[in-house]
Amino acid sequence: MNALRTILPVDFTVGVILVTGLMSIGGCDSTVKQFPSNRVHALVVETSRDVPTDAAMADVEQVVTAWFGTPEKPTWPSEWIELPAARQLVDLDRLQRASGRVYSDKQNRHFGLYTEHCVTCHGLAGGGDGPASLLQNPYPRDFRAGVFKWKSTDRSAKPTREDVSKLLVRGVPGTGMPSFLRVDSDDREALVDYVIYLAVRGEFERKLLDDAIDELGYEDTRPEDDASLTSLVGLSSRNDEAASVPVALTVAQDRLNQIVDAWVMAPEQVIPVPDETGFDALSVERGRDLFHAVEGGIVNCAGCHGPNGDATVATVDFDDWTKEFTTRLAISPEDKAAVKPFRSAGALRPRQIFPRKLSDGVYRGGGQGETLYRRVVAGIAGTPMPAAPVAESSSQDTKTLSPQQVWDIVHFVQTLGGVPVRGDALKSAVEDAESVEKGESR
Amino acid sequence: MAGDLVKSNEISDSGQTTSVDRTSIVWLHRLTVLSVCLVWPLIWVGGLVTTYDAGMAVPDWPGTYGYNLFLYPVTTWLFGPFDLFIEHGHRLLGAVVGFVSIAIVIAAFRQERRRWVVGLSVAILLAVISQGALGGVRVLLSDRTIAMIHGCFGPVVFVMCCLAAAVTGPRWVGRVYREGAWPRTRALGWGVVLVGCAAVLFSYTQLALGAQIRHVQPWTTPRMFTALVATHITSAFVLWGLTLVLWLLVRRCGDMTLSRPSGWLIWFVGVQILLGTGTWIVNYGWPTVLAFLPVGEGFLVQSKGFIDSIIVTAHVAFGSLILATSAVVLLQVFRQRYLAKAIDSGVRQLDSSDKELSVGSSDRISSTQDPVVASN
Ligand code: HEC
Ligand code: HEC
Ligand code: HEM
Repeated sequence: MNALRTILPVDFTVGVILVTGLMSIGGCDSTVKQFPSNRVHALVVETSRDVPTDAAMADVEQVVTAWFGTPEKPTWPSEWIELPAARQLVDLDRLQRASGRVYSDKQNRHFGLYTEHCVTCHGLAGGGDGPASLLQNPYPRDFRAGVFKWKSTDRSAKPTREDVSKLLVRGVPGTGMPSFLRVDSDDREALVDYVIYLAVRGEFERKLLDDAIDELGYEDTRPEDDASLTSLVGLSSRNDEAASVPVALTVAQDRLNQIVDAWVMAPEQVIPVPDETGFDALSVERGRDLFHAVEGGIVNCAGCHGPNGDATVATVDFDDWTKEFTTRLAISPEDKAAVKPFRSAGALRPRQIFPRKLSDGVYRGGGQGETLYRRVVAGIAGTPMPAAPVAESSSQDTKTLSPQQVWDIVHFVQTLGGVPVRGDALKSAVEDAESVEKGESR
Repeated sequence: MAGDLVKSNEISDSGQTTSVDRTSIVWLHRLTVLSVCLVWPLIWVGGLVTTYDAGMAVPDWPGTYGYNLFLYPVTTWLFGPFDLFIEHGHRLLGAVVGFVSIAIVIAAFRQERRRWVVGLSVAILLAVISQGALGGVRVLLSDRTIAMIHGCFGPVVFVMCCLAAAVTGPRWVGRVYREGAWPRTRALGWGVVLVGCAAVLFSYTQLALGAQIRHVQPWTTPRMFTALVATHITSAFVLWGLTLVLWLLVRRCGDMTLSRPSGWLIWFVGVQILLGTGTWIVNYGWPTVLAFLPVGEGFLVQSKGFIDSIIVTAHVAFGSLILATSAVVLLQVFRQRYLAKAIDSGVRQLDSSDKELSVGSSDRISSTQDPVVASN
């Protein structure tokens, strides 16, 4: 009896740990057959259009899978893409490396990189709804909307490859988004491809659903043959050249090309940054006035960020990813009951977005002058932070900022974050005088 | 201390008193302690291997790049890539543990009379061998599922080694139950057993939950994961409370082998909670609940950072440590209760025959015989 008392707990230990081990066998290695579909968006369309989306969603899924493959076997629909550059937007080998099961080969090359590094936060389809997402603030990015915050391009443009690639090195301080500096640069490049792939795939899925309802006439049931998305599945661009092109194909192909073209265009949409003007006390002073909208105000940064960026202004606002299923459908994010169906469909709990406390000097998108310049010009896509109206030339008017004024604001913001004023006008004048003196005495 | 007596009287259920030379299992004990001191670092290194995903840094097995495991050039190992350093180090240490466990079995067969202890030593050897084989298969097949089983089995080996060290120790064999040794010595009741069991149980649950969090599946829903984390954190504090209660209960039992480790346990769990918080931070960023601490402002998560991986690995290793400690405490609780009972019956028996002895030896009576043998 006593023996049993001693041994039982020991056995129990072994047992539980073994069971745990067995339970996790399904774990990292098991494969995922399908990308989860964007049910939140389907519900948004259903609510806004007042049309059932089940039939449309089912067919959209088929097309998306036919064109983009599965997590185990991602594909790139090159044959439906017109621009050659867009056909090579991503590299299929890299996608293969980034996707699917995690393992490494004898050269210690890692596979399943996205599963290894990103999926816990960003989710299988890049929906920003990975297992650990709910516990983070801000939530991980939902790539499927195709909207990115920390980029060098216009507000509505896609980020460039370099933007994403630099982001992976830098990470996003103050959020859960890690720096992947210590991951092989080869691996990082594969991940960049995969992010682009997921973003294109996700945006295509969303917009094709809109099209199915708005243009192809999906309702309770699927429309006539020609407009039915099922006619696309198994279609190949080559053998059907002669046959008449189904409407559904035209619509889907247009959509696809529009999305990939936007990615190809990104490098041309990089916001030009004119040479930095003097970072002196005067510039900071002008920046302070502009920031606080002292002279009527073209921009009112302090209105959101508080006087001197101290974040003391009470704001209630949400990012676009949240607004999609709340305010844009005239649903209050605080209305739990109304939000519930969306939560059940997979949306994360609506969470407020707050203007940054600029006196901390923490910049999620990078703190260099150039980056901040672009931040002021374009605002932050997907968030309430607006773009500032900036004049092309330095022509002075009351509706737009001149590039110099943007630099002034940047300088002021930088000093808030603790950057010392570089070339103090007065000091440099004194220095000039001194050097002149020295020159004379020599 | 009385427990260190080389010769002591022993009482078995039959009431016979025999003399046992405790020195005979000294080597067995030393070896088991050595195994404990080797397996815990092995768990650390193993954790690092996982954290760094360095499992494949050395592609072959049992050799290392064609070399015999022990002949691999030391300089290449020490000054080579970090991946290779930890993976080869893990293998070397594992091999050493293998040899030690062989020695344990030999020592047990030669010196140990308690059959169940011999059995335990064999079980340890088998566990170590299968653990090594699993590791090898993992490398050859490059399979992460096996890597995970390999990882889950580690704590089991560690617990077994700790128990073996406990039951072969001088304080186990020569342990004396001293009633009234302290002014307010208390006998250990069922409550202690319950709390002890609960502590062991919660320690596992923590390991199990932790493994689920660490090896989270891509399709786990955010709600499920949140629930897992919430449970992991809540039961951490429950466990902390339990260890405190346990310590309060056994504190005055008059036996250091019991009260000391249960005191350590409180500290271990406290440290573990800190390490767990650290683990969260280095994996998922500074949590909003800790936003009031100014240091977290602009915290940047680093994938595969060095300090970060040490924190995570420490958290994993402390998990095993807590499990093993609470298992040992529970074992000692049973032991103490067994001794108390043996004394009870012993005293009664002796009472009838020799009053003098019963008084004189009431704090001398101990047993080298284990409960199994005793009850047989
Ligand atoms: C611990 C959670 C976590 C992990 C792991 C993670 N991310 Fe993120 N990621 C985030 C969060 C949170 C954000 C949102 C940051 C913000 O809104 O400022 C984000 C944002 C992003 C963005 C969008 C940036 C922008 O400009 O809008 C990209 C791209 C991205 N992550 C890629 C990745 C990739 C690729 C990986 C894997 C290599 C990864 N992330 C791993 C949490 C994570
Ligand atoms: C409508 C409110 C609003 C206004 C007006 C506004 N911002 Fe913001 N700003 C925000 C919000 C919200 C964020 C946080 C965005 C995020 O975290 O995704 C932000 C973030 C920032 C950041 C941090 C960027 C980073 O990399 O972390 C800077 C810098 C900034 N704003 C500067 C300005 C300046 C300069 C102005 C005036 C030209 C301004 N903001 C006007 C709302 C506003
Ligand atoms: C008694 C206390 C605790 C014990 C025994 C314990 C045990 C463990 C173990 C053993 C693991 C790793 C499992 C594996 O790798 O197989 C783990 C993981 C983890 N624990 Fe704990 N834990 C405790 C408390 C906490 C607390 C208070 C937190 C606070 C947030 C925490 C956070 C975590 C996290 C985030 C992981 C995942 C690590 C990763 O993803 O690499 N733990 N825990």
